[in-house]
Amino acid sequence: MDMMERLMNLDRRWLYLLVGLAAVIPILAPLNLPVNVSRPVQDLFDRVESLEPGEIIMVSFDYGPSTGPENDPMGDAIILHALARDLRVVVIALYPLGGVTEAREELERCVGDLDPPNGQIASERFPDKVYGRDFIYFGYKDGGLAAMRLMSDNMHEVFPADFYGTPLDEYELGREVQGYDNVAFVMSLATGIIGEWWANLVNAQFGTPVAVGCTAVSAPKYFAYYRAGQMFALLAGLKGAAEYEFLVSQKYPQLAQITDSFIYNAGKGWDVQSVVYSIITLFIIIGNVAFIVERRRQKRGM
Amino acid sequence: MYKKQFPLLLAFLGGAIPIISFFITTPGDRLKVTTDTLQDWMLIIAGAALLLGVVNLFQINLRKISTRAKGWPNALWLLLSLVIAATFGLADAFGTSVFGIWGGDVAFQWIQDAAFKPLQATMFSLLAFYVASAAFRAFRVRNVEAGILLAAALIIMLGVNPYAVKVLPFLPDATNWIMNIPNAAAQRGIIIGAALGAASFSLRILLGIERSYLGLQKGE
Repeated sequence: MDMMERLMNLDRRWLYLLVGLAAVIPILAPLNLPVNVSRPVQDLFDRVESLEPGEIIMVSFDYGPSTGPENDPMGDAIILHALARDLRVVVIALYPLGGVTEAREELERCVGDLDPPNGQIASERFPDKVYGRDFIYFGYKDGGLAAMRLMSDNMHEVFPADFYGTPLDEYELGREVQGYDNVAFVMSLATGIIGEWWANLVNAQFGTPVAVGCTAVSAPKYFAYYRAGQMFALLAGLKGAAEYEFLVSQKYPQLAQITDSFIYNAGKGWDVQSVVYSIITLFIIIGNVAFIVERRRQKRGM
Repeated sequence: MYKKQFPLLLAFLGGAIPIISFFITTPGDRLKVTTDTLQDWMLIIAGAALLLGVVNLFQINLRKISTRAKGWPNALWLLLSLVIAATFGLADAFGTSVFGIWGGDVAFQWIQDAAFKPLQATMFSLLAFYVASAAFRAFRVRNVEAGILLAAALIIMLGVNPYAVKVLPFLPDATNWIMNIPNAAAQRGIIIGAALGAASFSLRILLGIERSYLGLQKGE
């Protein structure tokens, strides 16, 4: 068996081993690979920078743990960026398989541990920020499109109480947000189709600006909405998350300290993805070279 | 009549009222109020549908277990997991303890952290290995179409790769062009086609032409 045949019939376990090592090593020893900021990501950063302090943004956690490595860092970056700019943040969750816990975990990762029912409402990371005034978590609502439609002017009908069961009217920020008119834009961190619903329904019917942070596998579809202007910004997969995290870290070094303290962040994920992409690309090229050589040989009857 | 015409009438009104209210404003906004009520109902029905799903899951899997059908241990495990997760979840929702041992919130959070998240993450992570293996074995230039697909994939993959971009700095622009022009055009066509299909299917339901959701055959 010559080298080309050996390559064609390479035991897949070697490939698994390489991919496994490529996934683990960069997490333990970050490579800090560079990122090129793309236009759709820059658009989100610029929009957040352009808002006046006190304006409200809504972050919808429309994904579960399966896509957490891609979507979690997006949530962290947008919440941290908004709080650093003194914007106010309303967090909701519409994804049934774990969205509710993802939202709480990412919010607490950014602001510190919370226990509003027992009076723990001050943020550990942002000492001047308080739950209910500067940020709030409305919780999860089933029903997807119907919930989005109702939220346009009946926010309190969809979310009568926050995640912890306290009526929204008891919080300053809860009272203020009655519908989409009260938010500067909606950021959907989405897996699957929910990001499309925000564009199709909330942007198209109510004119609310929408940005989406999607998984890489959904990104090609979302580019059509971005190009059509139905989304003003798009974070496409881990790369988009890394670009945004990079922009935020450059402008706000104090936030870089926070994200660097996380066991996992977009930068580390980007290192992993880049190395794994390199391995896959290399093996695709090797596989094709071997395939072409073999085919030529067969044609020549060798 | 009650089995056929009445549900068809309900479906027609449930679909037609929100559509009309989107285009027409009536005195006192009655149509909008009705639409809002219908949407409230939809939220409630969506929750009830979840319960229906659970009942259905029990019916199917209990039958599998009782007849010792192929894969019945999996069905048993599925139902056990469902019962445990639901018990902990309900204990969390009602603020009670589970068997007087764990607080409902602690137990549910434990299920989330120790089982649900790692299992979901593991399932999804396996894709990286399978995609790598499949790309190596199946992504071959067998014909012109496969060659075009391979070229586009390589440009996209290399265009987001920091190592490759250092050597070939034009790659990000090429990647952006592929994503923004041919990809967006093709995706737009697919999305518009799917939307037209969904609209025509909805219209068939509203007009009572499509009745399979009632369990009726064609012509019934």
